[in-house]
Amino acid sequence: MEHQWDFSAVLANKTLLLIGLQNTVVLGALCLLLGLFFGMFVGAARYSRNPLFYWPATAFVEVFRNTPVLVQIIWFYFAFPIVSPFEIDAFTAAALGLTLNTIAFSSEIYRAGIQSIHAGQWEAAKALGMGYVDQMRRVILPQAVKRMIPAFMNRAVELMKMTSLASVIAYGELMHQAKTVSTIAFNPIEMYTAVALIFFVMIYPATVAVRRLEGRLAAKG
Amino acid sequence: MGYEWDFAIVLRDADLLLLGLLNTLKVTGLALLFGVPLGLLLALLRLYGAWPVRLPVGLVIEFLRTTPPIAQLFWFFFALPILVGVEIDPFRASVLTFSLQSSAFFAEVFRGGIVSIEKGQWEAAKALGMDRRQTLARVILPQAVKRMVPAFLERAIELMKTTTLVSTISYADLLYQANNIAQSTYRALEVFTIAAALYFVVIFACSIGVRRLERHMARTGETTAH
Repeated sequence: MEHQWDFSAVLANKTLLLIGLQNTVVLGALCLLLGLFFGMFVGAARYSRNPLFYWPATAFVEVFRNTPVLVQIIWFYFAFPIVSPFEIDAFTAAALGLTLNTIAFSSEIYRAGIQSIHAGQWEAAKALGMGYVDQMRRVILPQAVKRMIPAFMNRAVELMKMTSLASVIAYGELMHQAKTVSTIAFNPIEMYTAVALIFFVMIYPATVAVRRLEGRLAAKG
Repeated sequence: MGYEWDFAIVLRDADLLLLGLLNTLKVTGLALLFGVPLGLLLALLRLYGAWPVRLPVGLVIEFLRTTPPIAQLFWFFFALPILVGVEIDPFRASVLTFSLQSSAFFAEVFRGGIVSIEKGQWEAAKALGMDRRQTLARVILPQAVKRMVPAFLERAIELMKTTTLVSTISYADLLYQANNIAQSTYRALEVFTIAAALYFVVIFACSIGVRRLERHMARTGETTAH
């Protein structure tokens, strides 16, 4: 059985694939931005000594870190709409699942980053008369964020891979477009190979950059 | 909102959910069984192979680590059977995909563990007259593996979460069963909530175990390699 590789159907449908790629990037970028932003607050709450902040934040993080992300997406698509006051389409469900997942994971990065800053920094900021918010915003976070960048980039890599799960609920990202085209053009071999290559080209440079950056940060101590 | 929760109707199919969970564990277990030794082999080839071996092995590892698992699964399920002319059922495609996929991650864990061992250990073994293979097997790996245990377990947990993908090619894991029950009972909210809770119980228990072990190892001075 010699298979004749034929990528012509892949190329003929490149508009559909490009739309898919665009949707992948939009979904990934949106969830990353929202996830990193809100993750900061959840991370601060996890660091808080106030049980009213600590426990809800901890429960949230544990639930989202310890269940499969596909289950989260499917829950938001099939289960949540039953009790939700507003309509939920595939994009919203995928964005909800992936954003909450990213918030949970990035909050742990913030927490570890904040913990890594020497206690003297807090005390010094306090001695200058800063309140908690100013200490965090002007002294602790600027130092911590630098150390967290590689971990955030790893998160972004994981997130880009996870966006492909939105195909399961028929959101028209790259994977879903490929699935659709391959059933019409009968070319699963070329189609899925092409998709894997596109993801590789998109994500691999980021992983190389992370390793370089980690090396540089480690060298600086 | 007057939604009437009804878990009873779903719990009638509890045995199906448990069967699904069993299948989830089966795929995870088999993928670990194949993935860990293969990961060791890949790590050794990447570290010590001649460049015509080292480079392609490195490329395969990177490719498996940076492409979405669902793309890999679809490739092995929809594309590979045409390519080789052999039918591959959902179960075999799942085990194949996740063994290979996890082996790439395990290879990196092994590599990290091996390079974390001080050079003095190599020199000491050499002074005792051991060659490279003996040094690896008797001196380096035993120490490295010990350090890597938490990283391995974390990877295994990630693997279990990723196996939910097998539901998309109709392998009857927990998520697939939940989907079926949701369709037959029209109780999506209850079913998927129970399924998520089941996953949570199993995965959270494993996570806590790993965290305990990490803390124990930190106390006893076994540094962990990530």
